[in-house]
Amino acid sequence: MSARGRLFGWGILLVPLAVSVALFVGPLAQLFMISLREPSSTELYGTGWTLANYTQLAEDDFIARIVWRTMWTSFLVLGCALAIGYPVAWRIARMPPRKRSLVLLALLFPLMVSNVVRAYGWVAILGRRGVVNTTLQQAGVIDFPMALLFTPEAVVMGLLTILLPYMVISIANALATLDPRYEEAAASLGAGPIRSFIHVVFPLSAPGVASGALLVFLLTLSAYVTITLLGGPRSKLLVSLVYDSVVAFQWPQAAALAFVLLALALATCGLILAVLRPGRVQGGAR
Amino acid sequence: MNASTGEADVVLSRVRKSFGAVVAVDDVSLSIARGSIVSLLGPSGCGKTTTLRLVAGFERPDAGEVSIRGARVNDVPPYRRDFGMVFQSYALFPHLTVADNVGFGLRMRHVPREERRRLVAEALALVKLEGFADRQPRQLSGGQQQRVALARAIVFKPAVLLLDEPLGALDKMLREEMQVELRQLQQRLAITTVFVTHDQEEALTLSDRVAVMRGGRIEQVGAPREIYERPATEFVAGFLGASNFLDAEVAEPGRVRVGGAGFDVPGAAGVPGTRLRLAVRPERVVLSPDGGEGLEATLRDVIFRGSTVHFYLESAIGPLLAYRQNEDGGDRGLRPGQRVRCSWSPGSAVVVAPLGDATR
Amino acid sequence: MSAIPGERAERVGRAITATATVVAFFLVFAPILIVLVTAFSPTEYFVFPPPGLSLRWFEEFFRLDNMRAAFVLSLQVALVSASVAALLGTLAALALARRGGWVAGLLQGLFLAPLVFPTIILGLALLLFYRSVGMPALPGLMLAHAVIGAPYCFRSVYGGLQSLDPALEEAGASLGAGPLRSFFLVTLPLVWPTMLAGWLFAFIVSFGELNTAIFLTGPGTTTLPIEIFSYLQFQGSQLVIAAASALQVAMIVVMVAAIERVVGIGRIVRSR
Repeated sequence: MSARGRLFGWGILLVPLAVSVALFVGPLAQLFMISLREPSSTELYGTGWTLANYTQLAEDDFIARIVWRTMWTSFLVLGCALAIGYPVAWRIARMPPRKRSLVLLALLFPLMVSNVVRAYGWVAILGRRGVVNTTLQQAGVIDFPMALLFTPEAVVMGLLTILLPYMVISIANALATLDPRYEEAAASLGAGPIRSFIHVVFPLSAPGVASGALLVFLLTLSAYVTITLLGGPRSKLLVSLVYDSVVAFQWPQAAALAFVLLALALATCGLILAVLRPGRVQGGAR
Repeated sequence: MNASTGEADVVLSRVRKSFGAVVAVDDVSLSIARGSIVSLLGPSGCGKTTTLRLVAGFERPDAGEVSIRGARVNDVPPYRRDFGMVFQSYALFPHLTVADNVGFGLRMRHVPREERRRLVAEALALVKLEGFADRQPRQLSGGQQQRVALARAIVFKPAVLLLDEPLGALDKMLREEMQVELRQLQQRLAITTVFVTHDQEEALTLSDRVAVMRGGRIEQVGAPREIYERPATEFVAGFLGASNFLDAEVAEPGRVRVGGAGFDVPGAAGVPGTRLRLAVRPERVVLSPDGGEGLEATLRDVIFRGSTVHFYLESAIGPLLAYRQNEDGGDRGLRPGQRVRCSWSPGSAVVVAPLGDATR
Repeated sequence: MSAIPGERAERVGRAITATATVVAFFLVFAPILIVLVTAFSPTEYFVFPPPGLSLRWFEEFFRLDNMRAAFVLSLQVALVSASVAALLGTLAALALARRGGWVAGLLQGLFLAPLVFPTIILGLALLLFYRSVGMPALPGLMLAHAVIGAPYCFRSVYGGLQSLDPALEEAGASLGAGPLRSFFLVTLPLVWPTMLAGWLFAFIVSFGELNTAIFLTGPGTTTLPIEIFSYLQFQGSQLVIAAASALQVAMIVVMVAAIERVVGIGRIVRSR
């Protein structure tokens, strides 16, 4: 490529790079700075620098409980997504290519419907005058509507609505590109279907599982609308606290909470990658 | 069908397999003696790989029986059959080390760890890969991967070893080297071996017996020399090495006429006038100066091929090919355009069933 | 996958798979189906199953000023932000496609980061950033959505460029086309479907986006999802929400069909 061509190549990078720095990296860096500032009642933040925003969080029992609840909810969602999603992905991967593409497209479609619409769907299903309650009442099974909303279970179901397609698509793609010869080799060496799965297929699908798991986990942490609508004021998670701080104009505190959220996200992602070790499987696909 | 010498480890009996409308394996029967090495040879689509997969259990026969060591295995899944397999792409598990790959079969058979380690080391030494135990498959060259695949397949001493075009991905020199090593290994272990190939040289080099397949059927089974020298059909003759195919007429039993010249052909039978198809190997064709006995032909081209010299001839009954060993670096004064006579010794011409005949 | 003779484990496996499929299907599609069904309900309160079909809630939706305004605003924001996103994503893809090295890899990661980065944190960061530089609300929101949508366009165009035979551009160069002309005459005609697909993805994402909009909107600039969210939180007339939601879903269907037409099923699914 000519020198002019090379310059052109790197030159057109400038615009998106500038935007990315100005509107992504920059503001995040600024947010981090704000998290280290003292709060102010008139300005965005005060004049001094402090670690108090973070240390306060560490000492707060309430925060600790929320963090704990956030983590185990997220892992629960991850576990369910994996348990439900893997078998479905398996089935899809076995379909002939045309049908498989159609099914995956069908799964893609709900992803694009706004989270609030799907949360509303759950409200319509689980609410006091929702599908479940009215059906059961009409059938005479119960007399009074059950409080199904505003429970952790409702939150988990609402989150799975959004996250299952990601997990399924991710794993299905990984399984579909897996060379069937590996399973045959395992069988030739004496591995029955179960052992073949444990020792060969599942490890080789690790990249798909990993990317699905990371996506699911990250999206769970920031799914504010679903958590709020289905969990209510008593099932607050970490992300709800961020929003509450913003509404109360507690900017440094909000910033600190945001970065705690981010740190938890990154740490868990690291953990998932360390456990699944998707890097082992290079050249595992056809 | 051949009478087997010694106990037969693998027996296919009238096996048939179709995929939809395509009959991949059509009424195939084959018996493989213990400790012998048999190759399934043929062009792509002839059913050789399907036949191998039937022995392995990756396909179930629609009809017929597959037996291993005397036991019917039609309904036995692959992981319960006692065989080791080397795949064309090797299928080494990328997430395991070489040692774990090789030891996989042992692990499935619940061999304790210490013994596993010992056996794996032995197997790696056998394929000349000592010291490679802790490498990852992706760090290995094609030839090394192939050896690992082999070690993995034999370490647990299976009854049968199956190989699906094992040397296809290697370059020529490496392939020839591996052919020799493979044969030595097989003889040392005395393991019953079936392998699939489309390369006739490979089949001839490695096998005790060769089964030539076409269109889902076995056209001929026999020792390499036998099927090379005495091909039963035109297809077999043409597939193993080059061949001249000549239309001949029976003059009397044991003697035919080819394009005006007479030849002794021991296998020629039938009423005088019967049309026959003869196969003559180019290396058996002898060229003599014009005016003598033999088939008249004109030399069209002389091609120097290193160890051999090829003569392309045109005769009254069609083109002919003759080889001569490059004994003296010259072409013995034969020039394109010259008229010569072609002949061959009585045993060199074989009567073959023409293409298109139903063979059995 | 190969045909291996059946086993008891296979049967158990099939039962598990069937159960999981039913559960997954219910979890993923039930909420949307309920919303669609409810949107056509003729009754005042939420009743299931609805006794008939009616378009009254759609009429109500268009009658309500704030709903209508939110719908229009969402459309505007989506149109602008998708276009900006397409521009950014395409430029980045052109610069980075078929380029190796760790710098390119790093930049790729940077451009793809908004896909996985918690958008609520980004929303907060942009809110404070905009406050400190005095960015007006509407353009700020459009830019925020452009940043979020750009990775979709980047990924789409990048994929298209990667599968482009470099020999084509080399042929163009050998015939005298400089980089700019080469782009317009050789690359663009072959890659425009992926650009369009990226644009459509960014549009859909923007239209339904909540996490940044929740911080960046205010009275006067409310998007449809935020409007729906407020209604739900403060127990407004719920069935209007059904209509609003149904409209959003309809829009998505149209867009997905459009993408499929342009790019084809296989490509969309793999690029996800």
